Amino acid sequence: MTTPAPTAEAVRLPPLPGAIGPVRPRPRWLEFRLLGLVAIALVVGSLSLGATVNGRLSIYDVQTLAIYIAALFVAHAAQVLAGRRTDQILLPTVAMLGGISLLLMQRLPQDLVTQTFFGREFGLAAVQLIWLVGALIVATTLGIVVRSDRWLRRYKYTWAAVGVGLLLLTFVLGTEINGQRLTLQFGPISGQPSELLKVILVVFLAGYLSENRELLVEQDTRVGPFRLPPLPYLAPMVAMWAIALGIVVVQRDLGAALLFFGVFLAMLYVATARVGLVLIGLVLFLLGSALMAMLFEHIRTRVDIWLDPFADPLGAGFQIVQALHAFARGGLLGMGLGGGLPEIAGRPPIPEVHTDFPLAALGEELGILGVVAILGLYLVVIERGLRIGAAAADDFRSLLAIGLALVIGVQAFIIAAGNLKVLPLTGVTLPFISYGGSSLLANALVIGLLLALSDKGVEPPPPPRVTSRWRRIGRRGAR
Amino acid sequence: MDGFLLVLWAVRLLFLGLIYLFLYRVVRALLRDLRAAAREPADRPGRLVILESPTGEPAAGLSYGLDVITSLGRDVNNAIVIDDPFASGDHAVLTYRGQSWYIEDLESTNGSYVNGRRVEGVAPLGFGDELQIGQVRMRLERGMR
Repeated sequence: MTTPAPTAEAVRLPPLPGAIGPVRPRPRWLEFRLLGLVAIALVVGSLSLGATVNGRLSIYDVQTLAIYIAALFVAHAAQVLAGRRTDQILLPTVAMLGGISLLLMQRLPQDLVTQTFFGREFGLAAVQLIWLVGALIVATTLGIVVRSDRWLRRYKYTWAAVGVGLLLLTFVLGTEINGQRLTLQFGPISGQPSELLKVILVVFLAGYLSENRELLVEQDTRVGPFRLPPLPYLAPMVAMWAIALGIVVVQRDLGAALLFFGVFLAMLYVATARVGLVLIGLVLFLLGSALMAMLFEHIRTRVDIWLDPFADPLGAGFQIVQALHAFARGGLLGMGLGGGLPEIAGRPPIPEVHTDFPLAALGEELGILGVVAILGLYLVVIERGLRIGAAAADDFRSLLAIGLALVIGVQAFIIAAGNLKVLPLTGVTLPFISYGGSSLLANALVIGLLLALSDKGVEPPPPPRVTSRWRRIGRRGAR
Repeated sequence: MDGFLLVLWAVRLLFLGLIYLFLYRVVRALLRDLRAAAREPADRPGRLVILESPTGEPAAGLSYGLDVITSLGRDVNNAIVIDDPFASGDHAVLTYRGQSWYIEDLESTNGSYVNGRRVEGVAPLGFGDELQIGQVRMRLERGMR
């Protein structure tokens, strides 16, 4: 007696790559060569630093440099062994930025930041090295392990809720440092949630925009000369605007607000190709800014400093004035690593140089040529993101990749412009160069996701909305 | 001392030069990547990937490069023949107009479904959307690769 073949055989799924498929090492020569170049450049940079500081041609700090370069090649080896066809340019580019950061942190006074891990006290460069290695681990692990984007795609509203929760938590429980309520502290662990929030924001926006693209492109509401999409679909835009203003009011964090709203507008434009929507957003933004500047003293102060820092060069405008002097001293070629102005009375001339003004310090030591090269490295990261987005299989992945790259690009632009007095100064970090664990790890998360998205052999995107088709067809067939 | 100063400047400039050499190598790699992408057959505006096909014709996992007008159905004269008992002879047509794809159901008996919703007449089809004709499930993907 044979049982009939199970009818479920008829609905066999196509073979999909499993969570961990057969692993075959795959060489990544481009990445290897570029990393080699990074290593050589960092050794030369360290020689330059050592020569300037110690007065003889020697590597400034062999141990720190060796650990960093070793970590880079371990990350490379792990990716080779995993055998995925992911992007080979992102890691060396970020490694170069991280290496420049390390050289800068070695050169600054080490007691700017001290942290105690396992009973040992570490100075600025050592702490930064620990975070950089941590960031490399995060980026490489994500680039190797993440093979499916379902966990991001399917739970976009959950992610949005997590993000809003984090924000509210910071509003309520955050500790205030320098008049900004940014840091969240749980026992020994403290971090800046806004860094993580920017990644969550991109994930949510990519999900929302890819699902509602058609509706946003439609134009059935007319307001004067503008043609708008159906009004309910403008709600998230207004919500975004309100959140950005909330961040400014409660957290006093101009930089995060600017970053979130800028990335939002850019992604909206990428998704809809409608300049009108972006214009409306910009008008909303300008109105909000004007309102804020009228209502709040500290924002007006920021704008006044930006317009004329020399009005009070020793008080409010001190940071900016010192930064401008630093850029001016740097000139075309710079004073050389370690050759910048030594500290005045044990402090570097620019307050908060390691978090807010690394570009000014680098401008002094590497000159405008160095600054342009660093901005070029950020451009490379953005180009890779856009390229990965253009080659992605569907809208969600496109928007995700482009949004992630834009987060880094917009953030670098905001703080670089702040340092150069192109925009009012806001307290965001320069990605991969500023000191700071939250910032490094969040940006590593971005790079890791970009690496994972760049693999062409990943699981195909799931169908957008699955309804019960089979039941319907079955009924039809039976009739 | 003058000799040391010379060395100092040489090392400084070498560091800057190496950063620029790195940038040059990266940009060259980027350009090569972009050129390769441009050379690849990007003339196809889209691909249709067969996700599931109980009868095996077309076979699951196959990927069809799409023309601007691609007809689907059981009849052998279609560009993509769907040999499925629930598909009509001339079942549907995929057309690429302007910047997006559309599916037109040719009054088939069992209808065409986009993401589980039945198509009435002509419906837009986005990249990543799932199309079902008879028992065959397909997904529209970008042509570039």
